[in-house]
Amino acid sequence: MRKLIFNYVQTHKSEILNEWIGQMKQDADERAVYTMSAQMFKKTSSEFIELLISNFTETEQEFQSKLTGFAEKIVRLGWPLTVVTLGLRTFGQIVTEGMQEKEVVAQHNFIEFSVEFERWMFPLYNTIIDSYANTWERTVSLQKIALQELSAPLIPVFDKISVMPLVGTIDTERAKLIMENLLEGVVSHRSEVVLIDITGVPVVDTMVAHHIIQAADAVRLVGAKCMIVGIRPEIAQTIVTLGIDLNQVITTSTLKKGIEEALEMTERKIIEVEGE
Amino acid sequence: MDSCVKIINEWDIVAARQLGRNVAKDLGFGTVDQARITTAISELARNIYLYAGQGQVCIEKTEAVGKTGLIIISEDQGPGINDLRKVMEDGFSTSGGLGAGLPGVKRLVDEFTIESNPGEGTLIKAIKWLR
Amino acid sequence: MRIPILKLHDCLLVSIQWELDDQTALQFQEDLLHKIHETSARGVVIDFTSIDFIDSFIAKVLGDVISMSKLMGAKVVITGIQPAVAITLIELGIRLEDVLTALDLEKGLEKLQRELED
Repeated sequence: MRKLIFNYVQTHKSEILNEWIGQMKQDADERAVYTMSAQMFKKTSSEFIELLISNFTETEQEFQSKLTGFAEKIVRLGWPLTVVTLGLRTFGQIVTEGMQEKEVVAQHNFIEFSVEFERWMFPLYNTIIDSYANTWERTVSLQKIALQELSAPLIPVFDKISVMPLVGTIDTERAKLIMENLLEGVVSHRSEVVLIDITGVPVVDTMVAHHIIQAADAVRLVGAKCMIVGIRPEIAQTIVTLGIDLNQVITTSTLKKGIEEALEMTERKIIEVEGE
Repeated sequence: MDSCVKIINEWDIVAARQLGRNVAKDLGFGTVDQARITTAISELARNIYLYAGQGQVCIEKTEAVGKTGLIIISEDQGPGINDLRKVMEDGFSTSGGLGAGLPGVKRLVDEFTIESNPGEGTLIKAIKWLR
Repeated sequence: MRIPILKLHDCLLVSIQWELDDQTALQFQEDLLHKIHETSARGVVIDFTSIDFIDSFIAKVLGDVISMSKLMGAKVVITGIQPAVAITLIELGIRLEDVLTALDLEKGLEKLQRELED
């Protein structure tokens, strides 16, 4: 029976492909069809059908690696998972209908056909969804690492003074990393004053403020002073409206003012020299 | 490897946290997480010593889907805790300490569960995952 | 084992070199207060550079000894708290408010001198 299905699919490959493309254009999400050129779509589709057929001819291992490769490719192309599962189902329907039409499958062997067909398609579904999910998970975790890397550098700007610019949303995990970077940096650069610049933080809510206060506290424990700079008007408004107490932390509106104040704290100032 | 320490006197608190630090180091935790783990163990062991009289603290490697971690299991047959919700509130203490206690430990680790029945004892599990 | 307390002019210098257990911490509290009394020191610097962990008990003993010293007229500066220690203390909810700190022993002594001049 397996042989029968395979022979049918093999000999009617191009018909199946054409029909499949036609149906997919009709049913599938517009995103999948129109984000790429017609030629690209056809090429990818034919690759997809080839892949399904190769399941018959190749060893399990080869098929797996091919499948993973393909899954990675379509993730990159931006085919949603729904399109892929729809594609599998459409493929199944076309083959079943086609085989019935050609009377390869009839009443007497339909049950046998269904069982065998199911046995072939089911692992396919599984593997495709699995490799899709894996690729997706890997992308997410890579992005997560990338996000951590851009976390927060501590930049020594003057002797005894360092600046940490924060950019983007701060969640608990990032807050912990920021705190570690901050303290390790303060100790290794021997900074006496450290300025945390929150100009690039879009929202300061109770949680973010809490993390900032904790960081300032920890900086004080290792023996330095912490200043929060870059407080925009809307941030000042939310902080007061939410009733967050930032009184124990020194704050200023701009990094420039902060640096001047930090220099003052370390008994220095910037003076202009007269030109010759 | 003997991964449990019986807590009977003050010195056992030191033994427990030393064991914890070694296991944490072996598993590859960074210095900050090592300090978090050591401190959490110290707090839990001290609670046993202060409130239950005796018990034990076990430190083991633990695994879940895609991650490795360290689990601290603190167990005693002491008087138990009457109001679990209350002891998990910040600033609650019956010993006149700083009141950091259990909520503090919870903040130091990634997962924290506590079971306690008055008159039967307390079982606390705390997990820190490797990043 | 007792923690050695050194005298330098009108200040006391303490460097904690090994992990504190409860007894040592309490003994230290007692020794320091006696030494302050004995020498009428006006300032104390306690260095924690080699300490990699402080739990709530030790933090309490430390906080207490700072308040007690203050009562006896000696200002305390704490130096060399490691980042890991600072983070765990904050996460435990121990803020050690009103405690003077500095990055290292040298800066701690400078800070103490400035404080005593005021």
